[in-house]
Formats: sequence, structure tokens, C-alpha cells
Amino acid sequence: MIEEFETLAATGPRIWAIGGGKGGVGKSVIAANLAASMARTGIRVVLVDADLGGANLHTLLGMPTPRINLSDFIARRVTSLADVMAPTPIENLWLVSGAHALLEMANPNFGQKGKILRHISALDADHVILDLGAGSAFNVLDFFLVARRGILVVVPEATSVENAHHFLKAAFFRKLKRAQPRRQVRAAIGQVMANASQRDLRTPRDLISKVMAVDPDAGAALVAEASTFNPSLIVNRAEHAEHQRLGEDMGAACRDYFGIRLECLGTLPTDRLVVRSVSQRSPATELYTQSPFVAAVRGVAERLASPQWRIA
Amino acid sequence: MTGRPRRKDWEALGLEPGADLALVKRAHRHRRSLYDKGSLATYTLLEDDERTTMLSRIDTAYRRIVGTEPFGSRLGPFGDESTSDRSEAPTGPPPDSHQEPGAYLRHHRLSQGLTLQQIAAEIRVGAAILAQIENEEFEDLPAPVFVRGFVLQLARALRLSDAEELAGQFLVKMVG
Repeated sequence: MIEEFETLAATGPRIWAIGGGKGGVGKSVIAANLAASMARTGIRVVLVDADLGGANLHTLLGMPTPRINLSDFIARRVTSLADVMAPTPIENLWLVSGAHALLEMANPNFGQKGKILRHISALDADHVILDLGAGSAFNVLDFFLVARRGILVVVPEATSVENAHHFLKAAFFRKLKRAQPRRQVRAAIGQVMANASQRDLRTPRDLISKVMAVDPDAGAALVAEASTFNPSLIVNRAEHAEHQRLGEDMGAACRDYFGIRLECLGTLPTDRLVVRSVSQRSPATELYTQSPFVAAVRGVAERLASPQWRIA
Repeated sequence: MTGRPRRKDWEALGLEPGADLALVKRAHRHRRSLYDKGSLATYTLLEDDERTTMLSRIDTAYRRIVGTEPFGSRLGPFGDESTSDRSEAPTGPPPDSHQEPGAYLRHHRLSQGLTLQQIAAEIRVGAAILAQIENEEFEDLPAPVFVRGFVLQLARALRLSDAEELAGQFLVKMVG
């Protein structure tokens, strides 16, 4: 399913998935502000509220609860995801609402997930931003992994960093499980585990290099799979100079630990205007153009929209 | 010798091979704090023993890089076997180990007819660092926690009975 989706994704809109393990770190606010910021520059953006069960992007955009939402699509009351797209108060920005999704929707089955993904990649837009829910459930991980880039949001707090690391580990191993041919890869991993001491297998990176030694083909398959795992990071609510380093430091540690590249897209400062914009039901980018948060969000939006950004 | 730095040593410090000494030092300090127990960026990423392994990789990498050429040869007289390093055995009593722990160590090394390189090879600490210890070039030395170990090893290589005490005195002078 995911492989098929990736082929489609190569020609469709650029898809970004915003996740990150912990609730309340600002995923939805960042999604809304990034989308609004991009739309203002003339880029056609669809925001998909994939926080199934906890959707509220419509509120952040100052819209009434949309009449049609994702659950209508799942229940086949509408045939196309494009029919769920609702215009927002911001030109060039549409919303696919997840509001009022049925309870069982919070955990869509395999077929439903595949259908959502296929339709997302067929949307007539330049960029699609998926706002994922909190947690590391498989469906969140899958949406995260199929995006052009999964974007992790953390705040400089131990609990948030903890959840982010848990999320990254879960996503990474889910990704490695897809390495082909599956039987051969699994056999090589088994052989490594049986012969290596704990000390030799400290990190996923160690595992890959040991597998490489016993079975170069299986090792190469793992490397290939791992090399396409390139999540990005946004640090939200930075207050001190020390917080400015967090993104870069997490990137360095991820490189050591997983052997992957975790690029920091930007560090967004704590800004009371953001809180105010939420109660005013409009993205801060629409209301407070001088806000430091808005300036930082624009920097991230520019990077996402840059034509140089290729599929890793 | 401490062994040539390998590619993985540079990687452990997140550097391109051949980066200059100032960068190496900064990277080492940064990596040490990144994997410190209190570090936010690596919180729960690593188990305690993984953290320890990572730190020892970082330190080994640092020692291998700093302990080899060309850093050793940049030091001038004290890293260079041809000059004072190999001078005559000292005469007279050793300097006071409290006042001048570095000079005290050099006195004992020279009186045993040893070069910095010989000791460096034996204890696997770079000759450059040993020279900095003897010269009490505190600014250029790595973090005190490493220096204590280096002084201890140096003093033991010289079969000094007061090695522990000397390492303590050296640190007192270094951080004081």
C-alpha cells in the first residue's frame, strides 16, 4: 500500500506530515500558520486535519464546524476527498476537516488508510500539510512515513523530547521492517543478534553495520531503507539561547544513534501573540505580521516551498 | 603512540577528517555535554550504559586525534624530541610538587632519562598533552576530569608513589 502510494506521491502535491509524539506542543497551531503563510505567497495549500478524534484546525482558521469531513469520505457519503475540501477565509488555502469523525475513525483500518493516502496524493494542490494526532500509533507512524517529509514538533521540555525519541525509534523500526527481501533481512538480523554481545549492538546504526558484515545484501537493504528516513524537526516555544541549540543537538545525536539525518527546519520563539491569535481564531501570520513567531514560521514556510527541496 | 585517528573518530566528534585543533576541542566539549546525563537533547534516547559507551567513544576519539601528528609537532620545544625534551638529567632537588606539579613531573621524567614520546607510547596519552601538563598550560588542556586521569597515568608511568595526590594537586592548581 505504502509503496504504491510513494509512486503516486512523486507526481502529486508535496506532502508534509506534522507529528511528534506529544500532545500540546503546538502541532496544529504550527500546521495552520505554515499553511496560511504559504498560501499568502500564492501557493495552493490543502490542510488535512488528520488528528482523527481530536481535530480542531477549523477553529484555528476561524471557520464554523465544516458540514462535510473525513468521516463522510470514509463512509462513502462523498466519493472523492476533493469533495471534502472546504475553502477557508484565506485565499489559496483549503481545509479537509477531521472534525466530528466517528469514534472508530480514530483508528482507520488498512484499507481506509490506503484510500485516504491515495486521495491525498491526487489532490489538485501544490502542497498538502497533514496535521497528525499525538502518539506513536501505527496509523500516525504510517502517515508520517509516507509524507515527503515527516516533521516532528518538540518543545524544550524533557517530556516532549522523551516522546519525540520514542516516536523516532518507533518510526525508524517500522521503516526498517519494510526492507526487502523481508525473509533474508530477518534471517541476517537473527544471526547478528545471536552472535553479538550487547555491547556491540548499542544503537540501530550498530545493528545495520553488523548485518552488513554477515549479509551485505541484507545490510544494503537496511541502509537503503534507513536512508529514506529523513524526518525534520521544528523546535517550538524556545525561550533561552540554550533552546536555540536543541534542534541542532537532537540532529547530532540522531545521526550518532540512528545514522539518520534529522534536519532542524526552524526554532520558533515563545510568543504571547500566538496565544492571543488562537483565541481570536485566526493564524498569527494573518494578524501579527511583526511577531517573532510569525517571522520564524515564514522562514520555515520558505524552506518547505523551495524548489530545491527534493525527496531525500 | 596512541594510534592514528580513524574515520570513525572524526565521526564520533561530528567533524570532517583533518579539522583543526580548535575545532576538535570545541567539538569534543560539545559532544561531551550532548551526552551528559543532564542533557535535554539526548534525554531518554540512550540507556545509561549506552551513554557511557558513547562518552568513552568520544573520549577515545579525542585522544587519538589530539595525541597524533600534526598537533604534537606544533608544540615547539616541549613536543619535540630534539630539544629540551631530551635534555640532560636534572641536578639538584625536585621542585615542590604543590607549587609546581608540572615541573615536578618533568624533573622526574628527565631524571629517569625518558622522553615525552616514550611515555606517550606507554600510556597512550598524546605527547602534546603531556607537554602541556608539564608546562601547566591549563588553558590548552582538556576538561579537568580528563586531565586528572592523564596526570595520574603520567605519574604512575614515572613510578611516583604520590601519583593520586599529585593528580589532585594538579587539578587544584588548574581550576583554582
